[in-house]
Amino acid sequence: MKANDKSADVIIIGGGIMGCSTAYRLAKEGVSVLVLEAKEIGNGGSSRNAGGVRQSARDIRELPLAMYAVSNIWPTLSEELDIDVEYVQNGNLRLGKTEAHVTALTNLVKKSTSVGLDVRMITGNEAREICPYMSDEVLGASWCPSDGHANPLHTTLGFYKKALEYGATFATGIQVFGLQKVKGRVRQVVTDDGIYEAQHILLCAGHASRAIANTVGIDIPVERETSEVFVTEQMKPMFGQMLGTSDADFYGHQSAHGSFVLGGMGGLEKFTSNYYGDETHNVTLPKLSRGVIKYFPDLANVKIIRSWAGQYDVCADGVPVIDNVSEVPGLTIAFGFCGHGFGIAPAVSIALCELIMKGKSETIDISKLNYDRFAAKG
Amino acid sequence: MGIIIRTKHTQPFIPQPDDSMIICRCEEITKGEIRKAVYDGMRTINEVKRYLRAGMGLCQGQTCQRLVLGIIASESQISAGELGHITGRMPVRPATMDYIGKSTEHSEGVERYESK
Amino acid sequence: MKRYEVIIVGAGPSGLSAAIEAAQSGLQVVVFDENGRPGGQLFKQIHKFFGSKEHQAKIRGVRIGENLLAQAKELGVKVILNATVLGIYKNKEVSVLIEKEVQNYKADAVIIATGAAENMIPFEGWTLPGVMGAGAAQTMMNIQGVRPGSKILMVGSGNVGLVVSYQLMQAGCKVEAIIDAAPRIGGYGVHASKVARTGVPFYTSYTVLEAKGNATDGSVSSAVIAKVDERFKPIPGTQIELDVDTICIAVGLSPMSQLADNAGCEMTFAPTKGGNVPVLTQDGETSIKGIFCAGDVGGIEEASSAMIQGKIAATAIAQELGYIDHDTFEEKKSIYADSLLKLRAGMFAPGSKGKVIDKTDEGYTISKSILTHGYLAESELSDFPALDTSGGEHIVIECTQNIPCDPCQSACPQGCIIVGDNITLLPKLSKEKKCTGCGLCVGVCSGQAIFLVNDSYADGYGTVGLPYEFLPYPKAGTIGKALDRSGREICDATVVEVRANKVMDKTAMLVMKVPLAQIGSARFFQPIGLESLEGVS
Repeated sequence: MKANDKSADVIIIGGGIMGCSTAYRLAKEGVSVLVLEAKEIGNGGSSRNAGGVRQSARDIRELPLAMYAVSNIWPTLSEELDIDVEYVQNGNLRLGKTEAHVTALTNLVKKSTSVGLDVRMITGNEAREICPYMSDEVLGASWCPSDGHANPLHTTLGFYKKALEYGATFATGIQVFGLQKVKGRVRQVVTDDGIYEAQHILLCAGHASRAIANTVGIDIPVERETSEVFVTEQMKPMFGQMLGTSDADFYGHQSAHGSFVLGGMGGLEKFTSNYYGDETHNVTLPKLSRGVIKYFPDLANVKIIRSWAGQYDVCADGVPVIDNVSEVPGLTIAFGFCGHGFGIAPAVSIALCELIMKGKSETIDISKLNYDRFAAKG
Repeated sequence: MGIIIRTKHTQPFIPQPDDSMIICRCEEITKGEIRKAVYDGMRTINEVKRYLRAGMGLCQGQTCQRLVLGIIASESQISAGELGHITGRMPVRPATMDYIGKSTEHSEGVERYESK
Repeated sequence: MKRYEVIIVGAGPSGLSAAIEAAQSGLQVVVFDENGRPGGQLFKQIHKFFGSKEHQAKIRGVRIGENLLAQAKELGVKVILNATVLGIYKNKEVSVLIEKEVQNYKADAVIIATGAAENMIPFEGWTLPGVMGAGAAQTMMNIQGVRPGSKILMVGSGNVGLVVSYQLMQAGCKVEAIIDAAPRIGGYGVHASKVARTGVPFYTSYTVLEAKGNATDGSVSSAVIAKVDERFKPIPGTQIELDVDTICIAVGLSPMSQLADNAGCEMTFAPTKGGNVPVLTQDGETSIKGIFCAGDVGGIEEASSAMIQGKIAATAIAQELGYIDHDTFEEKKSIYADSLLKLRAGMFAPGSKGKVIDKTDEGYTISKSILTHGYLAESELSDFPALDTSGGEHIVIECTQNIPCDPCQSACPQGCIIVGDNITLLPKLSKEKKCTGCGLCVGVCSGQAIFLVNDSYADGYGTVGLPYEFLPYPKAGTIGKALDRSGREICDATVVEVRANKVMDKTAMLVMKVPLAQIGSARFFQPIGLESLEGVS
């Protein structure tokens, strides 16, 4: 695409990991792709998450995506993208400190095993054998050995780099206001840089997607929720597992670099006046620190280097919408990932690529993630 | 930041004699790595930071930000003012989880929330 | 939550001035500083400040710091040291690490006065021991009493590079060269001249290519510099290897604006202000109501303007919180704004950054020699207004650039020197008043640019009285060499007397006897057999 060319076969709105990985797959298939991004590549949740590549504790409707990604994509993704995505498959521990936690975890495990995932409950001592730094307070954990973590920054930018190599164009600093139909199909993207045109439009702009979809009469029940992540100084390798807790005290892992990347919520963000800003919240970091120390006392003297906030796009029923919008031909949407989109993104983009090119997802079952599933109860 | 159009590079990457020079001292990132990141498509200071870790170390880019911006600007022909800046983040100086966790004053609401 | 009316981050010149102003208005104020001692950079500023009396001109930075601290103490301002502010939130909450825990404080207003950090430039070997910021070198010698090295290359000829070079010589180091990639010396001509006349060479349009390390500990053993073209690219074949053990980098400062950014204040990239700075109103308020910035954090200037900015922010807060009424605020603000305006005038004003100025405000041609070599060519001096060609004892004021400074005017008991209200204008000599040869102006001038010349001292001999800040002061009768403005030995010289008093505050007037023909050229005295110079502090 020339710099002044404002059309492509497919325009992708949103330069996060969904947009970058789908652009990569489409461009590789020879499709002309233009990605429009309001800020920078991977500015949103794609760069702000804690890198979980997890199948356990997922809603079974999105589990096929997670299992496909872990079985078929993640193990070879570094070679495929020619960048070290720091994928580590050392399992996921979801920790419980009370009987109530253990009960909740057991229920999650039952659901996952029902669709064939290798995940099981282990005792506190078994968990401490896997991860010796864990405190004695841990009573039990769910353990999924095929889970892991990766570097979300490298993964997102790796997809972006490869998409460029295959000829995709990215335009950043362009604010999308809405979509417009021409002769029955969605065709135009209205931006602060004028109108962009495409045969097909993929909307995957995180929490910003809802308002854009609204402009062609589509309203998906998603709302923003702030979460924070912090990173510590570099430490010697201590443990390789992805970690979470039943009570959502924190989640995260130790990165290849040696720093710990840990995140969570303070609980009050939603009720404070700066909720929709990207600023961190005053109570969250202390709360997360205390949470981490309770489970891993050895980390008490590890220095925190920085923290940041990101926005989940939380969907009303806890799983994303990944679908062709049948009532608006030419529009595909993928948002509402609820803060666990990173690990499944490499598989989501396969589904999206097929939705765009073939009209349906053939490789992975995303049938429960349809856009028109929402109805009021009762 | 204004509009930046990114397309595939058309020329091969040309090494330079000073490519081995360290630019980000905390994370030991060289000039050549930064030039290559720009060649690979990274354009803003944050993209380069996320791609390489330049500016992610203990000093949080206080020393190298200017230098990295200069290299991106000269490689990409985009003025430094259009490349963004490394966001100032809490804690602006490193502090242990213990110290931060012991934050003595919470707003009242949090104590209520946590004691639920 | 614990709460103060005003929380000030940083106990440097700006923060302390803000605290004093706020306390005087009756506000309850606390100052946090991450360092173990207050004063910011003031206590290493052993040179005399510029400006006017209201800006504490002719007072050394270190004394200004002492005065600020004394004033703050008297007013009961709480200054908490070793208190590192980790974050500031939109709701004017401040997280500060004190001892071993983070404490959160709320405030009605916050003033961020965190200053700036030194810029670095990369070159081969820039990470070797022995390469350091000029400010770091200044801290070593003036605070810790340690010489940073013995043979120095100064990279950067702005005021920091020039002032620190001079102080390095006062500490007994030898400054081998001052280089600048720009084709012109960046700092005040008077600062350059006082260094140049001791024999330090300036290389403009030069950059440092490499620091070579020695085999034993890898620390700097020499520096390779080279000339650059107009696009700052080194010109092959122009390399010079300098025998130095220390390379000081003085290539500007960057605002430490992270806390403002962290709070969510609107930021802007402003190269003339030093980089990323918060967008500020005239009062220093950021885009977040009640969060202010003062001093270098909002744009690089110098301590004198930082102090006024601190006062303006505090005054605005005092009004906002009802401690002073609107009229008082307007009155104070206009006084401070005027004071700031005076400092921000002249050819080195923030607004003139990057501009090439050829003429003074009065229309005199700016000395080209001073811009490239650091010293005035004698032929250029005759164009300026303060040259007294009358016989007998008279002063020569070698002040040829519009800088904000006027202590010379009030220093002369006879009223010989006239600057006027516009303190950036060049000093002129009164036609009516007659110099008595007291030498006060020589010691008072912060730029060390005034000389007392006597062309009728003895048959065939005259004397030159020059500002002198190296210890020990030579005794009368000491024999040595007279150096010209470029630092070149031009003749034998004998010290006639060294005059110093309280007003001159350790800038002595050294009077040397030289052949009559040399009184227009001889501007420095080098005692024979003295290995190094030691400065006053």
